[in-house]
Amino acid sequence: MRKVIGTLLAIALVTGVALVANRPGPAGAQGGGTIEATVTFAGAPVVEKLKVNKDTEKCGTEAVIEKVVVGPNKGLANAVVSVPGAKGAAKAMKATVDQHGCKFVPHVTAMTPGELDLKNSDDILHNIHTYSTANPSINKAQPKFKKLMTEKFEKPEFVKLTCDVHSWMLGWVAVMPNPFFGVTDAGGNAKIENVPPGKYTVEAWHETLGKQSKEVEVKAGQSTKVAIEMKK
Amino acid sequence: MRSPVLAVLAAVVLGAPALAAAQAGDAKAGKAVYDLKCIGCHGEKGDGKGPAAELLMPQPRDFTTGLYKIRTTANKVPWDQDLFRIITDGMPGTSMPSWAVLPDKDRWNLVAYIKSFAADKFKEAPKKLELPKEVGSSAESIKRGKEMFEAIECHKCHGAEGRADGPSRAELKDEWGHPIPPANLTKRWTFRGGASRTEIATRLAAGVLGTPMPTFIDSVEKPEDIWHLTNFILSLGPESPGYATLVTVTAVSDAIPDDPNADFWKKLTPNNIPLMGQVIVDPRNFDPSVDLVSVRAVYNDKEIAFHLTWDDPTQSTEDPAKKLFADGISLQFPPQPSSGPERPYFLMGDASDAVYLLRWQNGKGVTEATANGPTKIAAIQGAEASGKAAYANGQYRLVMKRPLVSKSETRPTFTPAVFMPVAFQAWDGGAGEGGTKMSLTSWYYLRLEEPQSSRRFVIPPIVAILTLAVMLLVVRVANRRA
Repeated sequence: MRKVIGTLLAIALVTGVALVANRPGPAGAQGGGTIEATVTFAGAPVVEKLKVNKDTEKCGTEAVIEKVVVGPNKGLANAVVSVPGAKGAAKAMKATVDQHGCKFVPHVTAMTPGELDLKNSDDILHNIHTYSTANPSINKAQPKFKKLMTEKFEKPEFVKLTCDVHSWMLGWVAVMPNPFFGVTDAGGNAKIENVPPGKYTVEAWHETLGKQSKEVEVKAGQSTKVAIEMKK
Repeated sequence: MRSPVLAVLAAVVLGAPALAAAQAGDAKAGKAVYDLKCIGCHGEKGDGKGPAAELLMPQPRDFTTGLYKIRTTANKVPWDQDLFRIITDGMPGTSMPSWAVLPDKDRWNLVAYIKSFAADKFKEAPKKLELPKEVGSSAESIKRGKEMFEAIECHKCHGAEGRADGPSRAELKDEWGHPIPPANLTKRWTFRGGASRTEIATRLAAGVLGTPMPTFIDSVEKPEDIWHLTNFILSLGPESPGYATLVTVTAVSDAIPDDPNADFWKKLTPNNIPLMGQVIVDPRNFDPSVDLVSVRAVYNDKEIAFHLTWDDPTQSTEDPAKKLFADGISLQFPPQPSSGPERPYFLMGDASDAVYLLRWQNGKGVTEATANGPTKIAAIQGAEASGKAAYANGQYRLVMKRPLVSKSETRPTFTPAVFMPVAFQAWDGGAGEGGTKMSLTSWYYLRLEEPQSSRRFVIPPIVAILTLAVMLLVVRVANRRA
């Protein structure tokens, strides 16, 4: 039974990753190339733990704050890989963040400017408190009966999401200027497809480790590998 | 507007808020006033880092962010009138005083100057906040407000009964990273932005910027729930604390109950006493937790009893490993009532004049002590006092009893109709208070009511009848003479 569940989970995970990675590119970018980025970090993972004193049936008894998640082969998860110089119209696609188990899921959401759906599937009070400068920052209560709120993020920026009711909750919304981006998985990998051919700077951003970049050349119909190492 | 009459008419017709009409201030003239009056806390650069800032809790406003807690707008930009009002009225429960002493013009100039610290934030125009149609208070409205209070989980921060003791309390931080306590909804005279109905509804609807308090205008089931919530919050406590100047001890003939939750105590009128932080002796307490104690006191022919009620958001006992202190409270009296106006030093006496303390500490119970200063406290042997405490929803209730008469020189005897000095001290261990880090009062007076006798029903009518008789006599004599 466990094996079956394990396999199912693995399939679900792979499908999930594939779905994330297969973000549809802009129209007319056919014949573009693919960037396969691997982001690594040589340092140790940073994980903080906190005893939970409320809503334990939803939040669990211990909150785990994963600030730096390092997987096998030093792969760094939750990094946003992007190609700021690539030209392509943003495709209207709503991004979604769920507040589930007193966590923002996913931890990092990347989107093009537009609307973000904020779900509350916990059946308890959360409040969406954003820290931003380019976009108006908000602090809106989302009680249990308010399952969905939609907010606009119209300017490219990395926006911090917090909840004051559950101080450990932390998430990020990466509002990107163009549709060429990906968020690294547990192995530190992200795939950006349909990038118009050309020479670009690929940028990797991480919430605590900052930014690193690398030059690449994207060729039509080909996959280009790029390895970026984050430093403290 | 062509004439002032028209302007007034327009204001009435448009239902303009009760804010002063905005005047254009002169930022340059405002700077001159700022440098004299505001710089000490808010700093030269307007960043809230003036020399006094580190001692203040909450911290002074950082004007460079253009973020203001109290506003009556739907967006983040306050009206000039919002800023003017805070300068004029100050902020209850903070170090921001009222500057109504300054001429109007100076205050408008200050508004212009503090806006200049974040000029780009004021490029956006303020947006009028539309409150839902007002719902007056009624039993039904309060009931609905309570339902909504529970549904939107106000208690997470503000506590089940509104005493700021919610489970998220310790985690709350403002946008500058400073810890920030939730408002105690039972003490609305401490509300930063005022305690009127409209002000409370406005805070609920638009939130308090820079703090964890979010906007609720779109997060209640129906828009008018904002008013039901307001009516419920108003029902949680009195409008003002009605501070007492004298503690009256009521004479009773029955036995006095030990249980602090007994109905007996609810029937007595509380004497509300304000407490301040102890800032005379190191370590000082600049941010006292306990700011009010409600005293109910009674005596019978054998004993005197004090029923004390005070809010404390955290129940704590002494735990040296966690650097926690016990919650506590004490009543201070001179060891013997003096006939003259002289009293021992109010801060727990001094080397020459001791004080008697009747105190309670969580975990230790009621004890008696003699103090010759806040660090020289010696327990009195042979306990004569007893007591019982109860803690629920961020509030302590305590009964302390003692024999009325004492034969020892270290303990006072309480005599009816004699003014007896009394002072109070309190510690919130969970807030790190212990030793000289306390809240306290100066000397107050306590007076035991004289036992009620039936004479008060007999003597006044006799006096009245005699007076009438004398008057009639005078009238008759005068008439006869005439």
